[in-house]
Amino acid sequence: MNQLLNSGEIVQMQPTEPGYEVEEFLGGGGQGEVYRARLLGAQSAGTPVALKWFFPHYLRQDPHLRTRLERAVDNGPPSDRFLWPQELVVAADRPSSFGYVMPLREDRFVGITDLVTRRAEPTLRALVTAGFELAHNYLQLHAKGFCYRDISFGNVFFDPQSGEVRICDNDNVSVDDGQGGSIGGTARFMAPEIVRGEAGPSTETDLFSLAVLLFYMLVNHHPLEGAKEARIRCFDLPAMTRLYGTDPLFIFDPDDISNRPQPGSHDNALALWPLYPRFVQTLFMRTFTDGLRDPYSRVRESQWRSNLIRLRDSIFYCQRCDAENFYDQDALRASDGGNPSRRVEWLTRFFSDRDALRASDGSSAACWSCASPHRLPPRMRIDSDVVMLNHDTRLYPHHLDAERSYSFAEPVAEVTQHPQNPQVWGLRNRSAQRWTSHDVNGQVNDVEPGQTVTLSPGLRLLFGGREGEVRF
Amino acid sequence: MPKLPGGELARRPLHFIWIADCSGSMGVSGKIQALNNAIREALPHMQQAAADNPNAEVMVRAVKFSSGASWHVARTVPVEQFRWDDLEVNGVTDMGKALQLVAEQLDPSVMPERALPPVLVLISDGHPTDDVSAGLQTLMAQPWGKKAVRIAIAIGDDADRGVLQRFIGHPELEPLQAHNAESLVKFIKWVSTAVLRSVSSPASQAVNADQRTNVPLPPIPDAKVEVDDVW
Repeated sequence: MNQLLNSGEIVQMQPTEPGYEVEEFLGGGGQGEVYRARLLGAQSAGTPVALKWFFPHYLRQDPHLRTRLERAVDNGPPSDRFLWPQELVVAADRPSSFGYVMPLREDRFVGITDLVTRRAEPTLRALVTAGFELAHNYLQLHAKGFCYRDISFGNVFFDPQSGEVRICDNDNVSVDDGQGGSIGGTARFMAPEIVRGEAGPSTETDLFSLAVLLFYMLVNHHPLEGAKEARIRCFDLPAMTRLYGTDPLFIFDPDDISNRPQPGSHDNALALWPLYPRFVQTLFMRTFTDGLRDPYSRVRESQWRSNLIRLRDSIFYCQRCDAENFYDQDALRASDGGNPSRRVEWLTRFFSDRDALRASDGSSAACWSCASPHRLPPRMRIDSDVVMLNHDTRLYPHHLDAERSYSFAEPVAEVTQHPQNPQVWGLRNRSAQRWTSHDVNGQVNDVEPGQTVTLSPGLRLLFGGREGEVRF
Repeated sequence: MPKLPGGELARRPLHFIWIADCSGSMGVSGKIQALNNAIREALPHMQQAAADNPNAEVMVRAVKFSSGASWHVARTVPVEQFRWDDLEVNGVTDMGKALQLVAEQLDPSVMPERALPPVLVLISDGHPTDDVSAGLQTLMAQPWGKKAVRIAIAIGDDADRGVLQRFIGHPELEPLQAHNAESLVKFIKWVSTAVLRSVSSPASQAVNADQRTNVPLPPIPDAKVEVDDVW
């Protein structure tokens, strides 16, 4: 009575094909409802799937939906991270609507909503991994000529242990031809030109939504909600249109401090933004300053991808409290080097009052959790990349093989502790290739697969194509 | 030890008020039972919709009117703790007094400093017996009353659609006409989920979204009469 389909009902692709039996209502949205269903009478009978069934009143609003879905089914998913439509289905007694089946999301995945409400609390490593996976997989989608149109909280799920993602609601995906579906996006995630009614969804507007989602994930706040938002009493559509459309201003705009986050209202932005190294802040700054006005100035997925891996490689643990912190090479150089005022100058561009300055200053030089001064673990420089060598660090083909960027399936090296002497740490060769090590005394050794080389300052490792240098 | 600094996302309160007709005529043909059932049926869906919306803190209350009006649920309760006790019928249709009560709670001195537009849902099966114009005027004199998303559900054919239309205040958005228990459930569920989502975070907004109200309203569900227990 209160849902579109009933348990036990059968839907099928063609009247002659094996059908799916509806099992359980899973959830509803603006377009339809999702059920768990099970394949009947075929080779893979019994396989549980997700079934989305559309509201008849939504179909009237979106006349191209069926064509769009048929094309998506024909093209297949851009990667295994998409819960992509597999086939369209109809029900004999319900001619006014239809649905489609897709893979069922496993229970280990939680929503971004669970993250921002802190019902799920992943590690920073898992969070940054999820950000990387999103950029990497939306890149695959855009590379196929599609745009997603509705990147937002509700459509992305991630595993809080590993950071692996699943992207749902792919029924809005369409060819990026400036036409297509009827979805303009979700409030707060839509690019300003869509909010103003000047443009439809495109790859460029997806890039804006992706940056908002990444900002929400990393900073737990909206990038445009600062002093201007705090002044609005009733947050209705005209207010949203001003804030996100006609008058948007980044809360950390380096040239305009009038929309800074307000203590009491926007505490997450104040607490989390200073945690991130300068190279990540710069990407957000570009998308939410020049990129607010010029869609082509927005940071591309490939840039997010490489910088989020760099961010993940810069995680180290506080030696006192174990909290994850980020190594900010640029900031440390600025503060440790001959001209400490450069860092202060950098920070004062963001924070006007002295308390905020102290807090943000401390966050780079000291642990965000226990405030003890940073003590860095050994680290390895590989070309221009720096990887922190923590007790649990693993290196992947991405790090050691220039031909295999973004390959993270199997580790090829891992940090290990000496079995007899816990003070001594080494790097075990888990690859099938022989490495060569050169220590500072000029001694050269082979490191065969399975062997471990002791980490020492200045140690150089040749991994075939790439070379790493250990620093303490 | 927390793994991340900061806390949960900053939220704005969203006040949701049921305004329910409990006059004697609601006792005929099981209407009040259908309303009690519909709200109770919709509640878990409403709680899920609220949980999926990290930008809003949904607070629910209820006013009932018959001979006079009073708060059925007076304390603003977070939706996850909201429970619905059965409404009982008696007396006449003092709708104006109910709107007065709501107006008092929308006074800026009572409302929080910053909030999302309130949602007011008026459900009635008959003609007001008191000065409904005065009540409506008081409500609309409040800035939060004017900003509120006002939805009306007419139960059966005897409802005063003119008054409900004045309450809505948008000529193109009509009262929802519930002709049976099934369509009532559908509408109650729609206001407590789809409308709720639209107010806090207009989800998956259509390109040509409805701009007639100060929040974009999602498409209204069909209410085809499929069974014969028609009011």
